[in-house]
Order: sequence, then C-alpha cells, then structure tokens
Amino acid sequence: MLSTAFVPVLAATAASIVPPESACTREGDKAQGPKKQKLVCAEIQGKKIWVPSGGDLVVAISQDPGSLNPAATTAGAVHTASELMFNGLVQLDDKLNPVPELAESWTVNKRATIYTFKLRRGVKWHDGQPFTSADVKYTFEEVLLKYHSRTRAAMLSALATISAPDRHTVEFIFKESYGPLLLQLDVTEAPIVPAHIYRGSDPTKNPANLAPIGTGPFKFGSYTRGAEVVLNRNPNYFKKGKPYLDRVIMRVIPNSATQVVALESGSVDFLFGVPGPDRARLLARKKAFDTLVTRRNPGGSNCMMTVSFNLRRPITSNLAVRQAIFHALNRDAFLRNILFGEGSVAVSPFSKGIVWAWGRNLKLPEYNTVMANSLLDSAGWTGRDGSTRTAQNVVGVVNGTKLSIDFLHFPTFSAYAELYKAQLKEVGIDVRLRPLESGPFVTAVFNNRDFDSNIISYCNGNDPEIGIRRMYDSAQIGSVAFSNAAAYTNVMVDSMFQQARNTLDVTRRQSLYQKIQQQLVKDVPYVWLVETKSTRIFTSSCGGFRPYSLFAEEAYCSN
Amino acid sequence: MTKYVLRRLIQVVPTVLGITLITFVLVHIAPGDPVEVLASGNGDEAYYEFMRAKYRLDDPFLTQLWTYVSNVLRGDFGTSYLTGESVVRTIMPRIGSTLLLAVSSIVISTLIGLAFGVLAAWRANRLLDKAMLRISVFLAAAPSFWIAQVLLLFFALRLGIFPTDGRNSPGFEGTGFAKAVDTLWHLMLPMSVLASQESSTIARLTRTGIVDQLGDDHIRLARAKGLGDLQVVLRHALRRSLPPVVTVIGGRVGHVFSGAVVVELIFGWPGLGRLILSSSQSRDTPVLLGVLMLIAAAVVLMNLLTDLSYMLIDPRVRLK
Repeated sequence: MLSTAFVPVLAATAASIVPPESACTREGDKAQGPKKQKLVCAEIQGKKIWVPSGGDLVVAISQDPGSLNPAATTAGAVHTASELMFNGLVQLDDKLNPVPELAESWTVNKRATIYTFKLRRGVKWHDGQPFTSADVKYTFEEVLLKYHSRTRAAMLSALATISAPDRHTVEFIFKESYGPLLLQLDVTEAPIVPAHIYRGSDPTKNPANLAPIGTGPFKFGSYTRGAEVVLNRNPNYFKKGKPYLDRVIMRVIPNSATQVVALESGSVDFLFGVPGPDRARLLARKKAFDTLVTRRNPGGSNCMMTVSFNLRRPITSNLAVRQAIFHALNRDAFLRNILFGEGSVAVSPFSKGIVWAWGRNLKLPEYNTVMANSLLDSAGWTGRDGSTRTAQNVVGVVNGTKLSIDFLHFPTFSAYAELYKAQLKEVGIDVRLRPLESGPFVTAVFNNRDFDSNIISYCNGNDPEIGIRRMYDSAQIGSVAFSNAAAYTNVMVDSMFQQARNTLDVTRRQSLYQKIQQQLVKDVPYVWLVETKSTRIFTSSCGGFRPYSLFAEEAYCSN
Repeated sequence: MTKYVLRRLIQVVPTVLGITLITFVLVHIAPGDPVEVLASGNGDEAYYEFMRAKYRLDDPFLTQLWTYVSNVLRGDFGTSYLTGESVVRTIMPRIGSTLLLAVSSIVISTLIGLAFGVLAAWRANRLLDKAMLRISVFLAAAPSFWIAQVLLLFFALRLGIFPTDGRNSPGFEGTGFAKAVDTLWHLMLPMSVLASQESSTIARLTRTGIVDQLGDDHIRLARAKGLGDLQVVLRHALRRSLPPVVTVIGGRVGHVFSGAVVVELIFGWPGLGRLILSSSQSRDTPVLLGVLMLIAAAVVLMNLLTDLSYMLIDPRVRLK
C-alpha cells in the first residue's frame, strides 16, 4: 500500500494551509527544491515575504577560525565563523544607524558622558540562563576592554566606569564627552558573552571558546578543527520567528579556486568573496547565482587601498612630489584592472561608507601627467638619467640623485605594486618594489620607518574615531601596526579629531571632519586610491542575506 | 639487533631537540610577532604591551628558550597564542586526517608503482614500456597543485562524481560505516594527487632495478629452467630490485607528511600540512614547533623502519 505521504501536495492545498498574513507578498519566493519545505511569512529587511523555512545553508570560509569567541579578538576568521551565535547591544543598519538589539532603548546625557541602556527582557542564553546587565558589565570589563584590540583602543582611556544599577540597566560613564559610543556596540565591535560561563577564567583560554554559548540566532552545533563549524537554529531567539534556516554550515576551504568549484558544483551555497575573473564568469550565469555587494566585513568595514608616503624621508617629505605622484596615478585603472570594478575610486580621505562624515566637495588631485611633470620640474627634479629624473636643485637632496623611491607591499597586493611602478615611470619616477609578508612589513614600516612609500588596506570602520584617526593623529606615530604610517603631524588636525570625539552633536562632528579632510587634501600624506567592496555570491535558491553583521539571521534556502 | 634498535631510538631525542632548537631560533629571528596577528590591524600601544606581557614575548630570548625546552621535557608543549587551546589538543585531531592521507597514498602508490614497474620491465623497450616512461616522467614533472586543479575541475565539477573539498560532506552526521564510506569518497581525489607523483617514481625505480639484472647469471639460470618472462621478473628479479625502492618509500614519508600542504590546501583537507602553514603565517610558535617536532620524530622513526626492512628483503644485510 502506498502511504498518503507520497501523494503530491497540490498548489491549491499548499495555498490553503498558508495563514492569512495579508501583508506578505510572494516576491523573492524561490523555487521549491525536492524536499517540500513549509513556507513562512518572513520579515526580511523590513519587507514581508513568503520564504521556505528550514534547510541548510553551506558557507565557505577561507580560514579555520581556531576560536569561536568574537569578544576576545578582532580576527576576521573568528568573527566570520562565530558572530551568528552572538549579539551586540545594538545593530548597525545599512546606513550605520544604531537599532535596538540586546538593548531595547537608550538615553544619553547632554554632555555625552553618561549613556544609559535599557536591556531587552526575557532574553535567554543558549543554555537557558537569563541574560542580564551583569553579562554586559563583565563582557566589557574583562573581555572587550582587554582583548578586543579595536574596542580597547577606542574606549579604554575615555571610560570611567560601567555600572549595572539593576538587572536590566547598564550605564557607561565617561571621563570626558565621548561621541562615537553607539557605533561601537554592534556584534562585530562588542559582542556580549555570558558572565556565568566566563567569570573567574582567562577568557582567551576558556573551553567555551570552542563550544560557545551566546544569545544569537544560531546555537553552536559542532566544530571539527580545520574542516567545519555547524550552527543550529536557536528556536528561542528573542527576535520571534527568526531565523528561518535549520542549520548554517561554515566550511573551511582555504583555496579560493576550490571555493568557486564548490559553489558551481552545488556543495557550497554562499561565498564571502570571489576573485575578479571568476566573478565575471559566475555573474554571466544570472539564473544560477545572485550577488550582494557590501563594504562591510566581519574583519573590517569601509576599507580603502591607501598609499602612504614617509614624510620623514627627503624625497617624499616634499609636498610637490607627493602631489605629482597623486596626479600621475590613474586610479580608474586600478579599479578596472585589479578590482575588476569591485569598488570605487576614492573621492575623499574618509570612506564613503561612513555616510555622514566623508568629505563633500573635495577636489582630489586628478589623473594628469602634464600636471605631474610640471610639479616635479618645479620641485627641482629636472635632470635626466635615462628615463629617470635626477635632482638639480632639490632641497635636502644632493644634485644628481635619482628620483627613485621604494614601495613596500604585501605579496597579495603585487598587482597594485606593478601598476604603481608602471604609472610612475611615465613621469620619470623609478619605483623599487619590496614585497614583504605582513610581519616584516609591519616591522619595516612602523618600527623602523624604513620605506619611502607603501600600500595598506586601511579599514575606516564605522566611525572616523575608530578606524581613521589612527592614520593622522601625531600621537599615533610609532610601532603600533597600521597606525599613522605617514608620520603625519598637524596640531590643528590633532585637535579637531579630539573635539569631534568629545561631542555627540552630529552636525558639529560633521563640520569638524569636513575641515580635517580639507586640510588632508592640501597636505597629501597619503594617496586615497580606491575603496574596496566585497561581492558575496550565492546560489539563487537562497536569499535574505544582509550586507552587514548577522548576515544569515534572515536568510533562507530551498533545498 | 635489539641493541641496534635501542641505540637508534635514543638518537631520535637529540635529533628532534636539535630541529626544535633550530626552528625556535628561526622563528625568533623572523620579523613579526603573534600579537600583530591577534590585533589584526587594530589596537594601540597599551594593547600591544598588555598582550606581549601576557604571552611573555618580552622575556629575553634565552629565558624564552629555557622556559620552552624545560616545559617540553616535562611534557607541556604550551598553548596556542591564537586559540588559547593546548598544542596537544590542537594537533591531535589533525593527525588522523594526515595519517589517512599519507598512509593511503603511500600504500596505493607502492602497489601501483610496483605493478607498473614490473609490467614495464616485462615489456622492456617495447611500446607499453615507452608509454609508461612518458606518463611517469609527465606525472613526476607536473606540479601537484596543477594535477589537483585538473582533477578537481574534471571529476568534481564536470563529472560531479567526487566531492570538491573536506574530509566529510557538509554537516555530515552519520557514524560508523556510513562515515567511513563518506570519508573514503572524499579521500579519493587528494590521495590520487599524492599517489600519482609517488607511484611514478616507484615505477621507474622498479623497472630500472629489474631491467639491470636481466643479463645476470641468476636470471639466465631461471630462464634455462624454462620459466616464462613474467615469472622470471616476479620471482627472481623483483625482490633484488626492492631495496632502493624501499629507501625511496621510507624517504617519501617526510615528504608526504609535509608535502601534503599543497594538496591539503586545495582540497580543504583538515590535516597537519595546513596547520604548519597557518601557524607559521600567524607566528603561532608553540603550535608550529609542536607540529615540526612530531614530523621530525615521524621521519626519524621511518628511517629506522626502512633500515630494518632491508633485513627482511635481503638476508645478506646485517645491522650493527
């Protein structure tokens, strides 16, 4: 006898079991796979649509995370694999506005020295324990402010104390006015971990780092070292109804070519990024794959490829030479040939991703070799030795010296280096390439200041205070990696950065940052080359991915 | 014999310690430190000082070396800077995967290599032999990453009969036999890449070893007894041509252990090779030293086993 389960479900039957949720549309409804999945009315980025519930999403990640505690590190690999199990006090939407997450609401006093957060009630950790203000206080004091390098650098010196007057209230009290706090509380900058698990232990060595307990949309399932992390749906997630997937499987595939083959063969559903040439090929198959372009990544957001000049070297300390190099660079070519269009040419010193702060109406030196040549002539580099210019009357340089500078870069950025060298050759500047792995690079650039120019992907972060100030603040010239590489010193700029940090008034911060950027464009300590973006590529049977943190909180797949 | 084995075993200790010492020095000379990796492009002076103090990276070199060596002698291999997990627990889960890949590829390549070597010798200088020579030269010369990509594109993408990556299917929950089958299915491509290169070397050595003897007296005698070509090769020539082959197999163990890095990377195989690469990139010294010590010990032990196996193959060999 055939059981009734084999009778195919007719369309009409399927429609009749659907609850009458009037606002729900069928838009985005993906084709049903062989396994019939229940449809649920999902709210995805504010829109209500029918989506299949349940099923697995297989995501390729490039590195074995090693640890799954995002509070104790800023490492991208750890955050990519673990953020879905945690939450921040707030989430930052696509315009970087803070929206409630673990904190339901907040108030800030006028001077921006006291922030009071009301926590959401009824939130449970994955092990069933209640989430309270003690968890927030503990996480900041013992984990984030010690081990999360970005949060520590941004907040530790400004913070006076964190208090928890009752189970559902947390207060951050600052020594002086502190504007950017709300942008430092999302799951990437400040994930909250459970005090009852971590208290009394070294948070970098707690066994829970490999089997974490969080509050997030997915619970820890299993972790096979070097192979995969399996996350299971958290049925008690405080955002009712979410998530829609049963499992998210993070598969460690170090080789990007293999990742692409895995996506094409269907064993993987989602890639965080794809090499340029492959991307074009996959995008040509529009029906099979969908894409999502974003500036934000678990490891760092709003990143910009930036050329630093060593302002303490005679050749590059000359403003005209720096301007000439800027004019000699065809930045469109970098975008086209290296990034295959994935990104944009920088239009201001700050990333356009920081929507309110990037500099409007600035005129960055445009590509113009005539201008570049005349600037070099005016600086005294008028002699010739073959195709390379030599010094005639250059301040601080012996006559006859070749206009030859070095360029330090990670081996992964060698395409940038080749293009830089070729473009500068056009105006008579000789470039010596020095590819260095990250350790030696940091030592050469920041400890020894042994370079003329270099290229760094500076991630500008969510707020200029977090990711940008370090590039220009004269107090941040030193051995710390990826601080002020140029050794730029300008008292006015220093003080404007400090003023912008000390106010909550966005209009005031905005105008200070505009002034800072006008000054930076005059001084050219860096070439703001191109802003990079990442393209997520996924099979078209999945959808609902978010371009920012908790990327799969609202995702769905039919399989 | 027992004395010989004991003496050789005792030699393992200074060898491994020597390798550890050299690696320790090299890692410390190399620029960069684990805190830079942990900071991943962020952090201020205070963070760096705090972390360096926590991991005692500011101690003088000799103090660090002394602490490390004395801990190791007490059986404490330290803790990973990156994950906070003990080195033993970091390495253990990887050993199985690497052993599986290494042992299976050595066994398969030995079997295939010997078989093809014998076949080629049997048909020496005829079409089959010449074809095999060309194939084995090609396989030995082709870089393993290239072979791996080709196999991946053809068998995993085009035909879809083998998986692209990993040791098990995504989210695989089966156990026992089902898991073994799934693992074997995932093992096929990476194992083939490693085995193809090893087997071509073994095939050529076997063939040359056999062909060299074909004019010898004992072969002529065997033929005079009326044995056929193949029987002569199998019964009389093969055994005498084995010692160099065994040497090669023994020597390849180290190569397969560490040389699997590329194959492990391409097929996402969760073995030790990838751990060597990632721990050296992230300056996770305790893990790197732990893996290298393990591999050094494995190679030294394999050399001993190789020497011992000569006695089985060739009764004339006596060890002192």
